[in-house]
Amino acid sequence: MLLVVTYSRAARQTLRNVCNRHDEAVVQRFGRAALLDATELGAFLALRLREKHAGDVQLERTTTFNEFEEVPESVRDAAAAYEERDHASTPYAKFAVGTDHPDADAMRDAEL
Amino acid sequence: MRVRVADETRTGNVIDLRSYDLEITAVAEAIRDENTDSPVAIDCPPPGPAHAHVGAIRAGMAWSLRPALAAAARSRGHAPPQADALAEVRDLLDDLDAPAIDLRDARRRVAETTDAAEELREEVATLRGRVRALREADADPTDAEADLAETTRLLSEAETERIAAEQTLARAREQARADRERRRERLRLEDRAANLRRSARKSLADDVREAFEEAREKLPVDAEPPVSAALAVARVAALDAPVVVGTVESFDRVDALAEWVDAPVVRV
Repeated sequence: MLLVVTYSRAARQTLRNVCNRHDEAVVQRFGRAALLDATELGAFLALRLREKHAGDVQLERTTTFNEFEEVPESVRDAAAAYEERDHASTPYAKFAVGTDHPDADAMRDAEL
Repeated sequence: MRVRVADETRTGNVIDLRSYDLEITAVAEAIRDENTDSPVAIDCPPPGPAHAHVGAIRAGMAWSLRPALAAAARSRGHAPPQADALAEVRDLLDDLDAPAIDLRDARRRVAETTDAAEELREEVATLRGRVRALREADADPTDAEADLAETTRLLSEAETERIAAEQTLARAREQARADRERRRERLRLEDRAANLRRSARKSLADDVREAFEEAREKLPVDAEPPVSAALAVARVAALDAPVVVGTVESFDRVDALAEWVDAPVVRV
C-alpha cells in the first residue's frame, strides 16, 4: 500500500478532498494521513498531492508485516513475556535484566 | 466623499447613483481600492475591518454574522483576550521557516543507476557465456574476452555509481526526516493559530452582540433578515468609508439611513 502523510493545513485539506473523491482507491484514512491502494491510480493520486504540496507530503510504500517471517524469535518472545509481566509499572529495561530477553539498546541497533 | 462616474463628479455624505447601472460589488471594490477597472472612482477615508462584511448591502446577500460582528468589534478598537497568544504563535511560525528538501533528483538517480548496472550485469553474463562457448568450440576467444573485460570494467563503475546514489539518497532521507519534524511542529502551530482565531472571533462578536441586537430592533427601514442584520452591524461598526446599498424599496430614505448607520452611503 502507499502511505501518504501530510505536513501542512493545505496538504491535509487536499488529501481529504482526494480521499472523498476517490474513495475506491483509499484503504484507510487517518487524520492527516491515508493508505492508498498500491495501484497506478493510488500512485497517481499520491503523486498529484506531492506535485501540489512538495515537501509537505511524505510518500512511503508499506508492505504487510509477518512477525514469523521477519522478527527473530527472541524479540517475539520478549514482547509476549513483557505483556505478561507481574507489575504493570516495571519498565522493559528493568524487566529484561537477568533474563534471556534482549535488551532495548541491542534491539535498537539491530535492523530487521 | 467624492465620486466620479462617467465624467460627472459628485460630493457629499449621501450619493445616489441609481441613474447609472452599476454593480454593487464593483462600487464596494472601488471604495476599498480593490478594483482599478471600476467604472466609478471614489475618494473616501480608508475602510475599516468591517467594510469587507457590510460594505455592500443588498437583498439576498450571502454572509455570516459572527465574522461580521467580530470585524465590527475590531473596528471599534476591541482586542480579543487571545491576541497575545495568537501573536506568540505567529512569531513561532515565522521562526520555523524551514528550507525545503527535494529528494526527487536523488530518487531518480538511484533508479537510473540501478537500471544501468542491471543492464551491464546482464551483458557481462552474456559475454561470459560467449567466451565459454568459443573456448569449448576451440575458436579464438580473444575479441570476446576483450569485450568481457571492458564490460566488466563498466559494470564495476556503474556499481560504484549506484552505491553512491543510494548513499546520497539515504543521507537526503535523514535530512528530510528532520525537516518533517519542523513541518509537524508548524502544522501543530497553524492548527493552534486557527483555534485561537476562532475563539478570538467568538469573543469579539460577543463584545458587540448586545449593541447589535438593540440596533436590529430599532431599524429605520423594513428589510429581510440578511439585510437588516447587515445594517445593524454597519451601525455598530466604525466604518469610515461609505456603505453601498442596493436596490431595496424601503431604502428610499437614504439620508435617514446614512444618519442611522452613521456612515456615508452610496445608493445604487
